[in-house]
Amino acid sequence: MGFDANNGTDKLVIALPKGRILKEAMPLVHAAGIHPEPAFDDPNSRQLRFATNDPDVDIIRVRSFDVATFVAFGAAHIGVAGNDVIMEFNYPELYAPLDLGIGACRLSVAETESLRAEDDPRRWSHIRVATKYPEITRRHFAARGVQTECIKLNGAMELAPALGLCRRIVDLVSTGSTLKANGLVEVEQIVDVTSRLVVNRTAMKVRSREMTGWIERFREACHDRAA
Amino acid sequence: MTTIQKTDSRALLPNGLRDILPPNAAFEAATVESLLATFSGHGYDRVKPPLIEFEEGLLTGSGKATAAQTFRVMDPITQRMMGLRADITIQIARIAATRLADAPRPLRLAYSGQVARVKGTQLRPERQFTQAGVELIGAGGVDADAEVILLALEALGGLGIGKLTVDLNSPRLVPTLCAALGLDAAPTEELRKLLEQKDIAAVAALAGDKAAPLLALAEVVGPAETVLARLDALDLPGEAAAHRESLAALTRQIMDKAPEADVTLDPLEHKGFEYHTGNSFALFARGARGELGRGGEYVSDLGESSERCRGVTLYLDSVLDVTPRPGPVRRLLVPSDLNRDTRRALVADGWVTLPALGTEANATEAKRLGCDHLLDQTGTPRPV
Repeated sequence: MGFDANNGTDKLVIALPKGRILKEAMPLVHAAGIHPEPAFDDPNSRQLRFATNDPDVDIIRVRSFDVATFVAFGAAHIGVAGNDVIMEFNYPELYAPLDLGIGACRLSVAETESLRAEDDPRRWSHIRVATKYPEITRRHFAARGVQTECIKLNGAMELAPALGLCRRIVDLVSTGSTLKANGLVEVEQIVDVTSRLVVNRTAMKVRSREMTGWIERFREACHDRAA
Repeated sequence: MTTIQKTDSRALLPNGLRDILPPNAAFEAATVESLLATFSGHGYDRVKPPLIEFEEGLLTGSGKATAAQTFRVMDPITQRMMGLRADITIQIARIAATRLADAPRPLRLAYSGQVARVKGTQLRPERQFTQAGVELIGAGGVDADAEVILLALEALGGLGIGKLTVDLNSPRLVPTLCAALGLDAAPTEELRKLLEQKDIAAVAALAGDKAAPLLALAEVVGPAETVLARLDALDLPGEAAAHRESLAALTRQIMDKAPEADVTLDPLEHKGFEYHTGNSFALFARGARGELGRGGEYVSDLGESSERCRGVTLYLDSVLDVTPRPGPVRRLLVPSDLNRDTRRALVADGWVTLPALGTEANATEAKRLGCDHLLDQTGTPRPV
């Protein structure tokens, strides 16, 4: 069966992440001139795909990790995704032309305070880490000659060290209060995270005019907010 | 809930490999033949290199980039390592530099065949797929680039594919510019990656006070009619300016000669163009997940002296995604004792004829075998 990057129509599909980032992203989406139908703001709605004021634009709301996947495979044309997610998947079909400057936090290594006192990272040959980001974690430690066994968790990473699942975690940190509450200290920062506008490579080529137009609208929205 | 018929577990194939069944296998073969007929009509002669050869042959020159993608097997006769080709371009370059070294230049060769890859990509998970393409060997310059691109458009257009997009690239432009800016190899590699992803914010941060020319280059990504003027206006040093002029000249020529296609520019692209030395390009169409094909200029140094070459490779899986399918064939059930001359005449008429083996040619048998027509007593095909 033939794959159709347009879902059978010429509609543009924008993928937005659920949760934390969405609240910060919406003012930019509005400023770019896109207003979703009322069901989008209704917490009881089971709808996943939403019409907008522009009949040629639909919005889908998916998990933040899935935004990158939908856009990379061309199921959505534009999306909002953190560079943590972009780095984790490293999809060659994804362009990230615009830093939206929202959702700022950092991806860091954290460990228990007691471990920190006795540990010498220069002697590591193998470590075990609980994380939602196994690829970034492996690459990060491989670059300094350490083999990593990653335990993939989808949330509540901070619990893992206390319960003996592992002694270190790699996770997003914004204020550090969750780490502190769980007796963990941030020992190393891997990367600063902000949300990016991502676009599908093929869409960027075959709908070049339209896509550059949208990137420009989002760029102006960011610029206006900063001003 | 509907239950689905399960396939026997013996049918399981390794990842990325599949059986292509009727009518898709015939569709693919006909598509390949159509492409090659266009190539041949434009002066490109067909060659057929083997599926497996010694790995040194496959992995030199432009083949180096495929080393990680090549299946290897030991030749029990010579005890030498052989590789299963992951790309055909390098084989054509070898043929041109050795067995056809004396053939007059420019040499025009066409090919089609299967390639195998150790690992598929996200967009193309297949580990075996069909390629078809051409190589123009021993010719340089924008006219030669344009010849190959226009031929690819001609061949794809002949399949009835709708609007095609030609994305024109210059993979040496960014490294040349970085070298002129005095950037070392390591940041250049990182900058290329970031520029490819169009991550302008990260480029600005990494390149610091040297970012301005790179950011200006990033403004040249988009539809040719809007960004070509920006390309012309770029302030570039020496060699980078030469790359820019060549890209601009090629863009003008394609826009002029192929008004049916959409032309886009992207001087930041280099993925898959690792061994390209001049202009390169990728072909896209709405509805296809990835590229339909790609190509560009490279230098073959397999022969006594190096030669400038350019070519295009089409990926049949993507091409088939957007090629209109032929109408259903007319299948005719005929008596098994039908006279050979009559059957030959029906086949020449375009019928697919199936003999009713061991049974009478009747409507029930015709339907069972998926025939829409039945040859009646008078020798006339009748719908069933």
